[in-house]
Formats: sequence, structure tokens, C-alpha cells
Amino acid sequence: MNKSNKKREEFKALFSLIWRYKHRLIIGLLAIFVVDGTQLILPLIIRRAVDILALGKATGLILAKYAFYMVALALVAAALRFVWRYFIIGTSRKIEEYLRNKLFSHVQTLSATFFGRIRTGDLMARATNDIEAVRRATAMGVFISVDSLILLIFSLGAMISISTSLTLYVAVPFPILALLLTIFGRRIHQRFEKVQAAFSDLTESVRESLSGIREIKAFVQERGEIDNFKRVNDGFFRKNMALVKIWGIFDPLLMLLGGLTTALVILFGGRKAILGEVSIGDLVAFTMYLGMLTWPMMAIGWMVNLFQRGAASMGRINKILLTEPEIKDEKDTLEIKVRGKIEYRNLSFTYPGERDAALKNINLVIQPGMRLGIVGRIGSGKSTLIHLLCRVFDPPAGTLFLDGVDIRQIRLSTLRKSIGVVPQESFLFSTSIRENIAFGNPGVSEEEIIEAAKICEIYSEIMEFPAGLDTLVGERGVSLSGGQKQRIALARAIIRNPEILILDDALSSVDAQTEERILKNLRKVMKNRTSIVISHRIVAVENCDLIIVMDEGRIVEQGSHEELLNLNGIYATFYQEQKLLEYEKEHLKI
Amino acid sequence: MMEDDYLEEKKLGAIYSFKLLKRLLKYVKRYKFLFLLATIITLFTAILDISLPYITKMAIDQCLVPSYAELEFSGKNALFENSIKRRYKEYLHPLKEDFYFIDLSRVRKEDKVDLEAKGYLSKERFLGIDLSKLTDEKKEKVLAIIRKYPSIFTQKSGQLFFISSENIKKIESSDLRLLREKDLSRLKFLCLIFFSILILSFFFNFAQIYLLQYSGQRIMYDMRVQIFSHLLLLPISFFDKNPIGRLVTRATNDVEAVNEMYTTVLVAGLKDVFLLAGILVVMFRMNPELTLLFLLFSPLMAYISFVFRVKARKAFREVRRKLAKLNAFTAESISGMRIIQLFTQEKTNLENFKRINHEKYMASMHQLLVFAIFRPLIEIIGASALALIIWQGGSRVITEALTLGGLTAFLSYAEMFFRPIRDIAEKFNILQSAMASSERIFQLLDQKREDRGKGKKIANLKGKIEFQNVWFSYKDEEWVLKDVSFTVMPGEKVALVGHTGGGKTSIISLLLRFYEFQKGKILLDGVDIRDLDLSFLRSQIGLVLQDTFLFSGDIKSNIRLRNSSISDEKLWEAARHTNAHIFIERLPGKYEAEVRERGAEFSQGQRQLLAFTRALAFDPKILILDEATANIDSETELLIQQSLKRLLLGRTSLIIAHRLSTVRDADKILVVHKGRIVEMGTHQELLRKKGYYHYLYKLQFKPFATSKMNR
Repeated sequence: MNKSNKKREEFKALFSLIWRYKHRLIIGLLAIFVVDGTQLILPLIIRRAVDILALGKATGLILAKYAFYMVALALVAAALRFVWRYFIIGTSRKIEEYLRNKLFSHVQTLSATFFGRIRTGDLMARATNDIEAVRRATAMGVFISVDSLILLIFSLGAMISISTSLTLYVAVPFPILALLLTIFGRRIHQRFEKVQAAFSDLTESVRESLSGIREIKAFVQERGEIDNFKRVNDGFFRKNMALVKIWGIFDPLLMLLGGLTTALVILFGGRKAILGEVSIGDLVAFTMYLGMLTWPMMAIGWMVNLFQRGAASMGRINKILLTEPEIKDEKDTLEIKVRGKIEYRNLSFTYPGERDAALKNINLVIQPGMRLGIVGRIGSGKSTLIHLLCRVFDPPAGTLFLDGVDIRQIRLSTLRKSIGVVPQESFLFSTSIRENIAFGNPGVSEEEIIEAAKICEIYSEIMEFPAGLDTLVGERGVSLSGGQKQRIALARAIIRNPEILILDDALSSVDAQTEERILKNLRKVMKNRTSIVISHRIVAVENCDLIIVMDEGRIVEQGSHEELLNLNGIYATFYQEQKLLEYEKEHLKI
Repeated sequence: MMEDDYLEEKKLGAIYSFKLLKRLLKYVKRYKFLFLLATIITLFTAILDISLPYITKMAIDQCLVPSYAELEFSGKNALFENSIKRRYKEYLHPLKEDFYFIDLSRVRKEDKVDLEAKGYLSKERFLGIDLSKLTDEKKEKVLAIIRKYPSIFTQKSGQLFFISSENIKKIESSDLRLLREKDLSRLKFLCLIFFSILILSFFFNFAQIYLLQYSGQRIMYDMRVQIFSHLLLLPISFFDKNPIGRLVTRATNDVEAVNEMYTTVLVAGLKDVFLLAGILVVMFRMNPELTLLFLLFSPLMAYISFVFRVKARKAFREVRRKLAKLNAFTAESISGMRIIQLFTQEKTNLENFKRINHEKYMASMHQLLVFAIFRPLIEIIGASALALIIWQGGSRVITEALTLGGLTAFLSYAEMFFRPIRDIAEKFNILQSAMASSERIFQLLDQKREDRGKGKKIANLKGKIEFQNVWFSYKDEEWVLKDVSFTVMPGEKVALVGHTGGGKTSIISLLLRFYEFQKGKILLDGVDIRDLDLSFLRSQIGLVLQDTFLFSGDIKSNIRLRNSSISDEKLWEAARHTNAHIFIERLPGKYEAEVRERGAEFSQGQRQLLAFTRALAFDPKILILDEATANIDSETELLIQQSLKRLLLGRTSLIIAHRLSTVRDADKILVVHKGRIVEMGTHQELLRKKGYYHYLYKLQFKPFATSKMNR
């Protein structure tokens, strides 16, 4: 797509979003129309009042009547101002809510490839800044474009009707004004962004120094840090002054130009009044209209900017909304009752965007109720086996079967509900421990939560916290140790009663004895169910029915503990090392 | 101590805020000349601002409005009539008996009001054309025009001709140009003044803004340096109690809040005061009654603006709170997306999201309502004030108590007057939050710095460390260390082992004087460490923490930190010695390779090697090391062990050990348990003892060693 096409698409998307809410917006726009109308009538009343006063024809009664009109007009305007705010800005808030829900629910369907490609910060920016930009375009953008257009046309019209030549004289500074506004606006914006950047440098500099305060003190680097801070601080000062230099001119310049137009009205208009071509009331009204003209002049540049940003942001949001979920249910999914037989058939897999295959010709059958242990180096493909089984990434068709069915044909939710997985990094949500354990099974009972916690050997530790199960995980002060987090993540998986349980190096931070106890507990729970344990520690896998050793994407050894020892290969070497240490220990005891 | 629930809106007592203000003003002192200048300039800009509508008024009254009226005395009030005749003899132009044209621009206001009230004056106004002051040539031309409109120029008194306002329109403008030449030139003159004031005002305004911002920024600079320097000199215990984020806010956002007070409240507030006072003076001079009537609106305007600000702020805060909640939820969902998907919780999660999103929507709508109600309300008050001026002001124009120009000036001033009043609430807010911010800043600055010792230094430090009956607690009587005594001879390697929380970290922290202990003594080469100069003490000790903190910058700056006396050569040598060289050489840019925030791109092992290199480059006599526990691949593990041996060579060292090899190689092992040293000796000695160390060894080192078999 070329650039202008892309832009057009973005604008189309933005306006179709606005169009969805056309009814509410039209009510708001009508209100604006009336408000602007009252604004344009006001100078006319004042003109009449001044003129009859100048001619000496005024009476208190007439003036009181005019004053009454003015107040009445103001009341009408106020009521309708409420209406337009409510309908236009309110609608923009609705759009914001709608768009955010839509974005969020779509993001939830996207797969690991997507999250690998996009940074969290980027995605957050879409959900916050970009949606805000769209909202502004729909609220202020719509308001300004209508409001300024009405005001511009009508006040110009009114001015021309008072005096065409005067309008021409006075209109001279306006194009200059508009030009200055755009130029200055852009410059100010640029410098302001630099100030913002300098401010975050400053913040970051303080934050970093304080984070490293122990190092700084231990290495006596305080002086150097202060000098460095002064440098950053000075940078901030300079950026600020650079902004002040230009922004400091802007306001006075606006005042000067505004004053200049008034001066021109007095000079030329006054002259016309002296020569009897216009009345004094005309002049007063003219000045008021002139004041009204200033706003649309300033607003137009702003409006263009709002729409441009809104459209660009809409484009960025749409890019996500239009991203097809890679992993989703195929057209004809099969509903199966999962028993837990897993079969890898000559499976090879390469991660998207990578050159080397992560798995090569994997053939493996795991019978229901079997315990499989996987050992191997970091990067040998252990986790990939699991990723494919959970469809974090999709395996090639016809390579991975669950209970004899290609897992790509199993409904995604059925598949995932039957698997309890405890990943390497235990991610907990910043809610309570209770909610974290019950995460995958929200309706679960208190007893079940406690039972799961007990199986994972975490219950007594949880009870030591003052708030027990209600302890907030993310709260300051109560930070869980790595081992505690891992055990809660495990409890979260087993509480779902999965047909298949997968521990992906999930107890690495738990000490050996506790790990042994947990594994023993699990053996009871997982009786007749399939379980897969990936671990660095031999103790964790030596009791498994089948152990496979992975290396460079291949299964290099497989069998039971004894069989593998007899093979005298990699597994045996691992074991030897362990033996050596045992021996060493014995030896030292002497 | 700074409290968590310390909120911005906390009300400060008047005396207290006065104290704060006084303390804040101290920062202004250095720049008082600039501030004084800014204040003077501000006064001028206020005067210039006020003068502009007044010039417009002058133009209307003096040039535009015809100034003559018919005056007919009835003889009923001879005394009054005679006094008028006497006072305005020159400006009364008789037409017939007791019937005059009077130049009203020369008549005092009270007399005008009197004349009007008594019904002497005509409603109609007249333009007077004075032939007496014209040159002969001009006179001819004017006379020609007068002859051209015989039906209009009917009234004449001596050299003066009069035309009624109605009739002016009937004269061609080319003729009027001649007739009203005086008015036109006066108008030009007034416009010139108007224009000059504009130009002057432009420069003054710029100067004011610039001066103000300049001095404000300088003050902020000073304040920030002061805060930052102070922070760095606070004891470690302070950082334990205060989250870094909050401290960063002191040096950044809080200072900005104070800046806002300096620039927008202090001087701009002064301008508002000048402006309001000036406008009132001018208004009073034009018409006191109308001014008083007009002033009735001000409290109302101020009150409503105030209520609006308070409500708007509350609503805004609520929106921010909800938005923060929403963003936190979104961010967490994104990082936990895999878990959500694997546990098929997309639906529940979306429901939660929608709920929070809707809360945010409702908060925004509430904010919208506040604006939608109060903004129009404020406009109604403004419009009502204008209506009042038209009605009451207009009536006063009829009674001659106000000129027409005066009326228009009133309209302009009303607008100018309400602006600062509307802003008062906002200024008050700024002031309040600046006060709260400054209070927090001063609280921070009042924190006691760490004790820098008694300044002693030891020449030729050997490195002997003695703990003598040291008792230490972080707070109150909860002793973390109880009666700890041990000696480390120069060059000795001592390993500290024991459960987490036993007091190992406290021991090394005390040696660095990160904390002050309560009882006992710590000696370095026989000198109490509290007698030593703190910088000297710390510079003798190298520290390697478990989780190495990397600063953003490059590899070099992370090794030498801010110590420029460490040359590149020294740094390279250190890196070669610690094996860090091997991985550094592989980096793009090598020693200049960028280290980003917290050095997240480096592995645990690499960080540890860098920390060793850093310690080695500083070449300390004593080394304190807290070994990393994390799993490190065995290749790096080997490098680290080798590197560690080299680093320890010839130094007194105190190591919190997690590696079997480190413990075995130690000259002495201290077993720390529940704040006490329960066993002391070599590895073999302690194992033979079959005591607590033996138990620990089984528990701690065995599984650790086995987990290293991953390769």
C-alpha cells in the first residue's frame, strides 16, 4: 500500500468509527449550532443598545429589555452547551470504551508469535495513547471542525455586512496570525518534546543512582554521581530555556497581533464612524465579532493536527485488530474426551523467523497415565515439545496427536482445559494468593484451594502470612520467594484437575527435599493421568516411567532410569557427576 | 518519616505554611534581583494592559461622538443657571435668549448629570464646526461645503456651525473628511499611542516571561542538586524504608510543582492583583455606583469557579486512579497472556477488563458532568454581568453619568476583570500542591545524613578485621546480630554460611557502615571503624553483591564507575584477570558496548564477572562478596571460580558463600545462625564436628552441586 493510500485508509477507519455514533453526534452538533447562533446574536444586541444611546433615543426600559434578552440568550446557550458537551464528549468516551474493549478482546486471541514480535510497551501505548488520540479526534476534532466553521462563516459574514472594506483592512493580520500559529506551534511542540525527553533522562538518572546506592556508597562514588547529575540537570535546564525562548514570544506575539487588529478597527473603523459610514454600535459589534474570529483561526491548525493524529493512531490500532490470530480453531474441530495419550509423529519444528529447527524428527508415544521425564541442556528443545502440545505454537499438521486426533483438529479450549501446565517462569497475577490458585477454575471451593496448596507444600507457608490466602501477591512488603511463586503456580495447575500435567522445570527454585515431597504428593494425585516433568535435577525424573534425553532438537536417549544408565551415554554422565559428588561427600566425611 | 497516605490535599496550618513559604523564599534569595526586576516589569505590563481599553474609550468619546448639545435655560433656577453660565462661559454658544449650544466634553460630570436631570439638555447631540481656528484657505473650502447643504447647516453661533447627529449621515464623506479633520487627526494620534503601547507591552511581556522562567529554572536546578546530593548522603536504612519511586518524585515532580508556584502564582498572581486594583481604580473614576453593582458578581464568580475547581480536581483524580487501574490490568494481562490462554481464562479476564474499563468510563462521565455544568454556569455569570452593564451602564449614559466610551470600556474591563477571578481557584490549587510538595521536599532535606566518621585514616592498611561483641538491630530490640565476635587476619579468606536471614548480610553491611550497630566494636587494623573517615573506610573495601547492579552506560563506565583515575589499561588488565575479557571481547563494541537500563541483556554470570572486574579495578585491601545463587551454566561457572580465586589473592576477604568450592577453599568458615556465630573452623574441622555446619552442608550444598549436572 502506498503512503497516501494508507493515510486514506486510516482516515476512513477513523470516520467510520465516528459514523457509528452519528445519532448522538448529530444532536450534539445541533446544540453547537444553536450555541454559536446565540453567540452571534449577542453583539447585535449590544450594537443596538450602543446605537440608540449614541442617538439619544434610549430609555431605561429599552435597555432593561436588552439586558433581559442577553440573560435569556445566555441561559439558552448554557443549557445547550451542556447538551453538546454531554453528547459529543460523552460519545467520545463511549468510543474510547468500545475501542478499548475491542482491542483487548482481540489481543487475547493472539498467539505467542505476536507477543514475541511486539513489545509490551508498544502494545500498552496502543491501548492508552493511541486510543486517547482517537478519542480526542472524535470529541474535540468533531467539535472544533463544526464550531469553528460556523463561527468563521457567520462572524465573517456579520463583519462584512457591517463594512466590507473594514473587514478587508482588519483581515490583513489574520493570515499572518494563522501562519505564525502553525510555525510556532510546531516549533514549540518540538522543543516541548525535547523537554519531556530531558525530563525522563533526569528521572531516570535519579532513579538509577538510587537503585545503585549500595554500589555508589561502597565504591565512594557520591561525588561523581552528583557531578553527573548536575550535567543531566543542566541539560534539562537548557532544554527548558530553549522552550521558553520560543514559547515566551508566542503569547506576547498573540497579544500583539490581537491588539493590532483592535488598533486597526479603531483607526479605520473610527475613521468610518467619523465620516458617518458606520455607527459606534457597529464598531463595538465589529470588535466582538473579530474576537470570535480569533478562535477558529487558532483552532483550525489544531483540528487538522487532531484528525491527523487520530487517524494515525487509528491506523496503529487497526493494525492489531486486523492481525489474524495464528492459533485458532480449525473449521471442523472434533469434540473429544481427553484420555491423555500423546503421540509425536516424525515431528520437526522451526520457530517462525528462525533458521535452525528447534525439533528434528521427534517420534514419541506417551501412553495415558504415563510419567515422562525430560532432561537436556538449555536450548535442547525440551520446552518446545511442551509449547507445541499446548499449541502455544502450532505443530505442522499430522505430526502431533492427542488420543489419536491431530491436536490441530481438537477445539483449542478443550485441549487447553485438559492440560495443566506450570511454566518455567512462574507468572503470578497481582491479586491474592487465593485468586491465583483458583485462577484457572474460578468456581473452586475453599477446601480444594487448601488441598491444592497442601499438595504443593505451600499451605503452611501461606498460613504464616498475616492475611493467609488473602495475602496480596504484588503488594509491597509481601514479596514471595521464587520457590513460593513456583509452588503457587503449581497449585494453580493441579486445581484444574487436568488430564495431563506438565512441569516445565517448574520447581527449580524449590529446595531438593521439598521438591521430592511435592513429587511424591503429585504421584498420588496424578495417578492414572499423564504427567510430563522437565527438570535439571536427576532426582526429579529418575522415578519416571520413561525418561528422554534431548540434545540439539533430537531425542538422543530414551528409556527408564536403569535402561539409560546401562546405555552409558549422556544420561549416565549426568548421573556419574552426581555420583562423584556423593562420593566426594563420603570421602570428606572420613 | 514520609507516610504513604500523605496526600496532596492535606490541609496545612496557616503558620505552618508561612514557615514553609519562608523557607521556600530562601531559594529566591540568590535571584532576588531578577525577581525584583520581573515584578517591576509585571507592574508595567498591568498598567499597559489597563490603558488599552481606556484609549479606545478616549477615541470614542473624543473623536467619534459629537460633543455639543442644545441647552435651554428656563429661568426657574436662576442660581444654578447663573453658576453654569459663569463656569462654562467660553463653551456656551448662544443661539438666542437663554438658548445655547454647549460643548459637553468641557463640562464636569456632576454638572452634566445635574443639567440632564433638570431637563435643560436636548437628547440630540450636535457636531460643532469652528471656523475661527482655520486658515483662510481651509475656511473657504469649509464654507463651500456649508453652502452645499443649506438645509443642514441651519444653526450658527458666531464662527460656529452645528449639525445634528441625524444629519451627519446626509453629508458626503469626502466633505465630512474636511469638516471633521480635527477629530480624524486626534484619532490617528490615539491610534499611534495605542500601537506604541502594544509594542512596548510585547517586549515587556516577553521580558517578564523570560526573566521569570529563567530564575524559576535556576531555582529548580539548585533545588534538585541539593535534593540529589542530600539523598546520596543518607544512610542505607533510609532507602530500606522509602521506595525509590517516591524519592525520585521528590527530585523531579515535586520540584516541578514548586516551580509552578514560583512562576505562575508568585509573580503572575502579583500581576493579577495589580490588574484588578488598576481596573477598579479606573472603573471607580468612570462611575462608582456601576462599579459597585458590577462588583456584586465577583464573589459569586470566585465562589463558583472555586467549587468548580475543587470538583474538577476530584473528578480528575478519580479518572486518573481508574485509568491507572485499567493500565495496570492491561499491562499485567499482556505479560501474563500465555498463562491466561493456557488456562483458557480469556472470557473471565475480558469480563474483568470490561468492568474496569466501564469504571473508567463512568469516572470520565462524572468529570464530563462537572465540566458540562460549571463551565456554562460561569459563562452565565459573565453574560449577566455584561447585561447589567448594558442596562445600568446604559441608563447612566442617558443621565450623562457615564460617557458612551465609558460604557464600552466597562464592557472590556468586565472581561479583563473576571479572568483573574476565575483563575484564583486554580492558583490556590497550585499553591496548595506546591506547599504539599515543598513540605515533602523539606522533610527529605531534614533527614539526618549518615555519619561520616571521625576522619582518621590508616596508612599502609593491613586489612585485619575484628568484630568485638557486636549487637545490631534494624529496629528496637529485635536483635539481628547478637554478641558477634570474630577476627579475620590480613589476607585471610573467611566464608560466612548459614540460612537466609541468619545475619550474614548484616555482618558485611556493618563492616561497610551501611548501618550503625548498637553495642560492641568493629575494628580495622585495631582502629574503631567509627573513628575512620567513611570515604576512606569504604574505599578500602571492595563489594560484590549477589545481584550485580549495572548502570546504563557502557562496559567501561560500569567497571570504573565515576572514578576517572582508573585508566583504560588498568581496566583491561582487570578484565583479563577476571576472565570478563572473554565475553566482553565478543560484544559488539567490546568495552564500549552499550549497557542499557539495569543491564538486562547480560546474564547472571556475566554480571558477576563484571562485578569482579569492577572490584579488582578499584584494587581494595579488603573484599566483601555475596555469592550469586542463581543457576549458571557450567562453562561460565568455571570461569567465575577461576576468576574468584584470582580476585581473592592477597586480600582479606569476607564471603557469603553459596558454592561448595568457595567454602572448601576458605581459610575459616563462620557458621551464622539466628544472629550468632555458632561454629567456626575449616571445612574439614567443621564436618568432623558433625554439628550445624554438617547439617547445613547436607541440606544446602548437596542439591546445589547436583543441579550443576545439567551438562
